[in-house]
Amino acid sequence: MANPIDPAQTSPSSTSPPPAPATQQSTPDMSSQQPSSQPPQPSNGASKPAKPPKQPKSKDAPPAAGGAPGEEKLSPAELKKKAKAEKAARRAKERAEREASGGAGPGPNAAPPKKGSIGSGAGGKEAPGQPYKGQRHRRGSGTQPSATEQKKKQEDKNVAVFGHLYGQPRRTTIAGAGKEVHPAVLALGLQMRDYVVCGSSARCVATLLAFKRVIEAYTTPLGTSLSRHLTTHLSHQITYLSTCRPLSISQGNAIRALKLAISSIDPSVPEASAKATLSDFIDNFIREKITVADQVIATSAAEKIQDGDVIVTFAGSSIVKQTLLTAYKQGKKFRVSIIDSRPLFEGKSLARTLANAGLEVQYSLVNGISHAIKDATKVFLGAHAMTSNGRLYSRVGTALVAMSAKERAGGVEVPVIVCCETVKFTDRVALDSIVVNEIADADELVPSQPLKQVTGLPDLTDEADAKKGDSKKGGNKAAANAPPAESTPLPEGSSPLANWKETPNLQLLNIMYDVTPAEYVDMVVTEMGSLPPSAVPIVHRMSTNL
Amino acid sequence: MASTTPAPSEAAKPFDIVATYNELLRSDPDLTMPIAAIEALVLLLTHSPSSTISETLDLLEKSTAHLKKSIPNPIGLSAGTDLFQRYLITTLQRPGQLGPAGDFNAIRAHLLSNGRLFIRRAKESRDKIAAFGRGFVRDGSTVLTNGGSRVVASLLQKAADEKGGPSAVRFRVIYVLAPAKDSSAEPEGMETVRALRAKGVPVATIPESAVAYSLGKADIVIVGAEGVVENGGIVSRMGTYQIGLLAKAMAKPFYAVAESHKFVRLYPLGQYDLPIEQRVIDFNTEEDITDGHKLQSVAHSSDVVDFTPPHLISALITDSGVLTPSAVSEELIKIWF
Repeated sequence: MANPIDPAQTSPSSTSPPPAPATQQSTPDMSSQQPSSQPPQPSNGASKPAKPPKQPKSKDAPPAAGGAPGEEKLSPAELKKKAKAEKAARRAKERAEREASGGAGPGPNAAPPKKGSIGSGAGGKEAPGQPYKGQRHRRGSGTQPSATEQKKKQEDKNVAVFGHLYGQPRRTTIAGAGKEVHPAVLALGLQMRDYVVCGSSARCVATLLAFKRVIEAYTTPLGTSLSRHLTTHLSHQITYLSTCRPLSISQGNAIRALKLAISSIDPSVPEASAKATLSDFIDNFIREKITVADQVIATSAAEKIQDGDVIVTFAGSSIVKQTLLTAYKQGKKFRVSIIDSRPLFEGKSLARTLANAGLEVQYSLVNGISHAIKDATKVFLGAHAMTSNGRLYSRVGTALVAMSAKERAGGVEVPVIVCCETVKFTDRVALDSIVVNEIADADELVPSQPLKQVTGLPDLTDEADAKKGDSKKGGNKAAANAPPAESTPLPEGSSPLANWKETPNLQLLNIMYDVTPAEYVDMVVTEMGSLPPSAVPIVHRMSTNL
Repeated sequence: MASTTPAPSEAAKPFDIVATYNELLRSDPDLTMPIAAIEALVLLLTHSPSSTISETLDLLEKSTAHLKKSIPNPIGLSAGTDLFQRYLITTLQRPGQLGPAGDFNAIRAHLLSNGRLFIRRAKESRDKIAAFGRGFVRDGSTVLTNGGSRVVASLLQKAADEKGGPSAVRFRVIYVLAPAKDSSAEPEGMETVRALRAKGVPVATIPESAVAYSLGKADIVIVGAEGVVENGGIVSRMGTYQIGLLAKAMAKPFYAVAESHKFVRLYPLGQYDLPIEQRVIDFNTEEDITDGHKLQSVAHSSDVVDFTPPHLISALITDSGVLTPSAVSEELIKIWF
C-alpha cells in the first residue's frame, strides 16, 4: 500500500511536500503555537489537514493568500488525498520508529527520511500529516538531537493506561471542516469544545436544534432522494461535531433516532413536507425525551426530599438543579451541599443558581468530601449515561461521592439517587472507567487560580523561586502536588505545571468521566418511573422498541 | 355524579367501600388485602349505575382514595387498587368491541366477570407458589419463619404433604411468634403451628428476641410479605427486617414468599421512607406517661411494618416463578407498561 501511495504523492510534489516549509513561512504563528500550546500530538493532525491543500496555493500565489480560501478549497477528493497522505506518513513514522528502536544498525535507514522532512520538501510523505508529536517538536525547535529521544518525550506525556483514549486531539478551529458542514453546526462544535455547551442533555438538545437548521437549509441534490442522501449529509455534520468533542451517549441515541426517522420517510413524499415531518420529529423528541422527561423526573425526585434533609450533589447537573428547585418551590426545607472539582467547576453555577433562588447552599471541592458527607442525608447525582449493567457513567468524581455516601464510617448509609432521562441509557456495559472514557486537553489542568494574598510574602518569593529551581531539577512530579506555600509566591499567572510538557517524568491526566458501581446506586429516577439500577437494560429495551 | 343518577333499588343506601372491604377481610380469612380491595372495587362497580367510562374511572379513583385514607396501612391494599385501575384502563383502551367505541354495558359486564376471574386466579396463585416453593424445603432441613402469612403456611403444609404418607419431606420449623396484642388472645401464627404439628412436623416456637440465638440451628428463612416494592425489597410485618439482617450476617438464605398481585409501585429508600405514618418510636417523658392516653398506639398493633431491602433477600418465591429481587422491577414494568 505504502508504495503505490508514495509515488502518487511525490509526483504532484508541488502539493504535498511543501507542507513543512510552508507552515513555517506562511503561518509562523501557527507553527509556533503548535509546539508550545498543543504538544499533544494529535492537535497537529487536526490542524494540519487543513494546510496541505493550502500549500499548493501558497506556492502558486503569494503565501499571504493562504488563510481562509484554503480551507474552503478542501474538496472531497482533496480530503481523500490528505487522508492517504496522513496514513502514509503514519506508516512511515511507525517504520522509522521501529527502526530507531531497533538500535544503531537500522538507525541510518531511519534517519534519512526524517532529515528530509525537516530540511527540504523531499520527505513529503512524512510532513503532511504527522499525527505524532515528535515530528512537530522537531519542526518547531529544529534542533532536537535524535529521534529516539524525541519519541520518548512524546510518549511520556500520554498516561499509559489510558493510551487508547488519546485519539485525535480536539479540533481547535473550523479550518478544515468540510464545506457541507452547516454554520450552525460549525459554531456548535466549537461551543461544545469549549464547554460553552456542556452537559449530556444540553449537548443533545443543541445538536438536535442545529440539525433542525441543517435540515431546513437542506435541498436534495438531483438524482437522489431525501431519505437516502440526508443521512450522509448529516454524517458530515456528525463527523465534524465528533472531532470537536467526542459525542455523548445521549447525542448518539438522538442521532440514531433521527436517522431512523429519516430513513423511514417515503421517497415519494415531497421534500418540503418531509422536512416538516423531520422538524416535528426533532421538536417532539426534545419535548418528550428531555423537556417533559426532566419535569417528570424533577417532580418525582423532589418527592424523595423531606424537610430537614441535607442533599449532597456533585458538579452541576441540570436535572438535579431542577429537582432541587422543584422541591424548594414545594416549600420543603432542606440544605444543599455541592461538591465540585477542577477544572470545569460546574458546581459554581449550580451553587449560584440555587443560592439566588433562596436555598441554603454549601459549596466545597471534592477534597472536602469526607467533611461534606458527614451530615448528608441523601445524595442526588446527574448522569452522563447509565450502562446496561446498571453502572453510572458520569463526570469524574461522581464515583468518589457515591462511595463516600455508601461507605460512610459510623453512620447509616446515605441513599444515592441518580436522576437520568432514558435517552441517556445505553446498551453498552462498563466494567471500569478505563476502557471507555474521554480525555480532555491536559492543559486545562494547568492554570492555577490566582491566589489573593492578604499578607504579602515578599521574602518568600525569592526562597520559593530558588526552591522551585531545585525541584525542577529534581523529581518534578512534586511540582504537581506542590503545597500552596510553594505555589503562591510564583510569579503572577504562572502555574507550577506551566512547563509540564518540558518537565521530564511528569504526565498530566485530564479524564472526563468515571464509572460508579451499581451497588452504590440505590435508585434511578427516570421519566418512566423509579428503578433500581438493575432495571436499566429492561427500560432501555422498552424505550427503544416503543 | 353516581348518586345523582336514578339509582337501582339495591343502591338505595350508598355503597360503603370501607365497610365492604373490612367485611370481606373479616369473612374470609384466606383473603389478602390487595384481593379484598379488588373485590370491594368490583362490588362497587356492580352497585354503581355509572354509564360512561370516565364516570366509572372517576368513581373508582375517588373510592380508592377514600379507601386508602381510611385504612391505617394502605400499602398492601394499594397494590390491589392500582392493579385493578391499571387493568381497567388497558382494557378500555384496547380497540375492538370492548374498547372506547364499544357498548358500555358490554364493557361493564366484561370488566365484572374478568374482575371475578382475577380474584379467583389470585386465590389460586397461593397453590402455585406452594408448588414453586416447596422445593426449597429440603429433607432434613430446619426452616425459620415468622408472622401469620397464609402463603407461607400453605407452602409449609404443602411441603409436609408432599407425596403423602411416610415419604414426606422431613423438616422442622422454628416459628417466631410475636406476642399477641392482648395477653388473652393467642399470638398470630399459632394456627399454622397447630396445623403443621398435626401433620407431624416438629415445630418450635420462639419469641422474637431469640431469633439470633436460634438462627444457628436453622438452614433457611422463609417469610411472607405484605407488599413487594419496586427495588425488590419487601414491606412486611415488623421484625422481618431484623431477621433479614441476622440471616445475612449468618449467611442463611432468606426467601420471601409473595403473590405477584402484591407488587406495589413504591420505592422506599429506607425504613422511614414508607408512605405510612407509624409511631413505632415514640419518645416520652414521665410527664407524657402520667398524661397517659397516647401510649396504646405503639408497636403492639399488628399493623406495623418494616422494610427489608433487596440485598438481604436471596430470592422471592412468587406465582410467576422464583425471582431475584432485581427481577421484580422487570415484572412490575411488564405489568405497568
